[in-house]
Amino acid sequence: MRKATFKGGIHPPENKELSAHIPIEQVNSIKKVVIPLNQHFGAPIKPLVAVGDTVKRGQKIADSQDRMTVPLHASISGTVKKIEAHLLVNNMEGPAIFIESNDSNEEEFLPILDPFACSKDEAIARIREAGIIGIGGAGFPAYVKLAPPPDKPIEYVIANAAECEPYLTIDERTMEESPDDVVDGLTIAMHIVKAKHGIIGLEDNKQHLVPILEKAIERKNTSLGFDIKIVLLKTKYPQGGEKMLITAVTGREVPSGKLPMDVACVVSNVGTLKAISEAFRKGRTVVDTALTVSGRACSTPKNLFVPVGTVVQDLIGSVIEVKENEVCRIVMGGPMMGPAVPSAVVPLQKNTSGVLFLNADEAQHYAEGSCIRCGRCMRACSCRLSPALLNRALSINDLDEAVAIGVLDCIECGSCSFVCPAHIQLVQRFRIGKQRVRIKMQKEAQRATK
Amino acid sequence: MLQNNLLLSSSPHVYSKIDTRKIMLAVIIALLPVTVYGVVLFGAHALLVILVSVASAVIFEYVFRLITKQDIRIGDFSAVVTGLLLALILPPSTPIWAAIMGSFAAIVFAKEFFGGLGANPFNPALIGRAILLMSFPQRIGGSWHIPFKAISDATTTATPLTILKLGGSIADVGKSFVEQGVAANADYASILNVLFLGNRAGCIGESSILLILIGFAFLLLVHVIDWIVPVCMVGSAFVLSFILGADPLFAILSGGLVFGAVFMATDYSSSALTVKGKVLFGIGAGAMTIIIRQFGGYPEGVTYGILLMNAITPFLDKLRTKKYGFVKPVKSGGARS
Ligand code: SF4
Ligand code: SF4
Repeated sequence: MRKATFKGGIHPPENKELSAHIPIEQVNSIKKVVIPLNQHFGAPIKPLVAVGDTVKRGQKIADSQDRMTVPLHASISGTVKKIEAHLLVNNMEGPAIFIESNDSNEEEFLPILDPFACSKDEAIARIREAGIIGIGGAGFPAYVKLAPPPDKPIEYVIANAAECEPYLTIDERTMEESPDDVVDGLTIAMHIVKAKHGIIGLEDNKQHLVPILEKAIERKNTSLGFDIKIVLLKTKYPQGGEKMLITAVTGREVPSGKLPMDVACVVSNVGTLKAISEAFRKGRTVVDTALTVSGRACSTPKNLFVPVGTVVQDLIGSVIEVKENEVCRIVMGGPMMGPAVPSAVVPLQKNTSGVLFLNADEAQHYAEGSCIRCGRCMRACSCRLSPALLNRALSINDLDEAVAIGVLDCIECGSCSFVCPAHIQLVQRFRIGKQRVRIKMQKEAQRATK
Repeated sequence: MLQNNLLLSSSPHVYSKIDTRKIMLAVIIALLPVTVYGVVLFGAHALLVILVSVASAVIFEYVFRLITKQDIRIGDFSAVVTGLLLALILPPSTPIWAAIMGSFAAIVFAKEFFGGLGANPFNPALIGRAILLMSFPQRIGGSWHIPFKAISDATTTATPLTILKLGGSIADVGKSFVEQGVAANADYASILNVLFLGNRAGCIGESSILLILIGFAFLLLVHVIDWIVPVCMVGSAFVLSFILGADPLFAILSGGLVFGAVFMATDYSSSALTVKGKVLFGIGAGAMTIIIRQFGGYPEGVTYGILLMNAITPFLDKLRTKKYGFVKPVKSGGARS
């Protein structure tokens, strides 16, 4: 099989061996959760419960009528203690619902629904009602992806099984332990968008999953006849970037400023697909975060299902062991794109794919040198931008040139910063550069309307 | 509670282990074979030129940055590389004071005045050599030394390119090789053989194509440079020599073309950054080299050929690769598998 891939990219040390072999553990011992209200990308939602209310695990506790929203569900059974701002994974404060457990372990999920018997609208509504959002990324509501406008037919549903971020192994474990759920979710998604082809894009460092997935596909196919293929991808970061994955498996490039549906593709993470399957077959709403806890300052790397809203600090000691004097950075997600947080008192979100406790060896930091024009960033850029030139344009405040070089097309994968021998903070500057460009554009638009 | 000493920073949180210093070290390693061979060919004075050039380059950079109150960067070894490159493109008989002057020109004028490493528009070592060449045409490049002979006025000869410039033919080059005792025969194959192995008169480090290619292979292997500029430069020199009716093989093997293509035209700061820019840079530098050799006043054109291309590098930077998402959309087709 020819390995599919994209141009550019990097090979950071994988460090997946720390946790890849460890089965996922369901954590039930959490006594209190802090559930951030707005974990999805889109409009804010409002609480449906008040302080003092008793809630059951799985019960809806917040929602909104607006577009681009998904409801939120209680992740443990107990009492709503307060609703107020808390520090979140993005280092900002945001409203959250605090629930304290009453140890009843009661659950309240949705009725079971047959995805192939119900109407498309019912199916979309179910996926929204289950609170499913994209995992690992910005938390895009899953139902929105599956309801493209009628003039955008979908050919491919691509299961993103690349898991290209170092350390993270939760997707790998999910596929190994629940291949049928993943394949089922994929067929449901294909059914909803009427896609002819389903593709599971797997990095070749996880080849051992191929027979497992093939068997699951066979079990599914014999009953429904879906065309599902496994495509092996070169192990390379950011192979799991939505655009890179589409290009690798279909040869198409998502046009600048457009979405996957513009090239007839829908990309879903394997965890999202599993959640979709469970939303129908078990009526489950999203109440658990599936994540990898790893890093060399963590002595018990694990793959976990933990109630959404669990504060990281509450896992330490009871579920995981951390070498407290060695931790020098806590990262939520993978080390390439995940944000670092100032303390362990942050709640896990639905889309948190990992918590890394990095020691000083792993999370090095360097003083910035000067660009030696070595061109490494240019070769590493997954979007074929010219990071060195972009950096220069931004540093002399030439925002038009920055846009021409492609600051708005940067997917913030961090490959350029990773390879830079002078340790120039490239992607870090580009993030701010995007803001600067947007502010400038807004000002210009205002001036134009005056 | 976990809170103390936690480092907050924007992602990524992991970095490659390659830094500027390791890159410079790789270049130094790649230059070692030609450096050692230069000393073998031309003896102790060549070694002295190399050592003085390197040491003065480091000292000039240190002192300059000290006086101008900038961070001291000699630890990145870029000054070592500049000093070494300069020495390797100087004639073995270069006076020590000239080597020091060349280093000064390279480090202070060409590099630090423009902001130091990465900011210099021209290749510092080439500027050093060019200034010496213009200021002291008699002392630098006026006389050349026969390999394996002690350096004194009695053992001077002409380089293959000087012979050609003065109206000689390739056969004359063969005769001079036989006279110097570096070749047994004066036939074409023997000439090319000498040129390839490099036991001929010339600058300290530029003569052995074989050893330069070994250095090139090493740099490719450790991904310090890519092949585009060297291959385009040598290729265009080959083609243009052929078009102009010169012997193309002789043209690329003689002089400092291959050395320049591998070690000078690939200088990060002063060379093109984009793929298209690199192709044009290489082609342009190769072509300029041959034009200067054929029509210019100097026997060798590599130095000015590369420096000229350095001057247009800012424009070459505008030739960027097409960005992701800007190619023509492919209409529906089967998935790759
Ligand atoms: S990798 Fe760093 S040093 Fe090299 S060209 Fe890019 S920004 Fe400059
Ligand atoms: S410029 Fe943007 S897209 Fe390119 S490597 Fe850097 S972060 Fe990734």
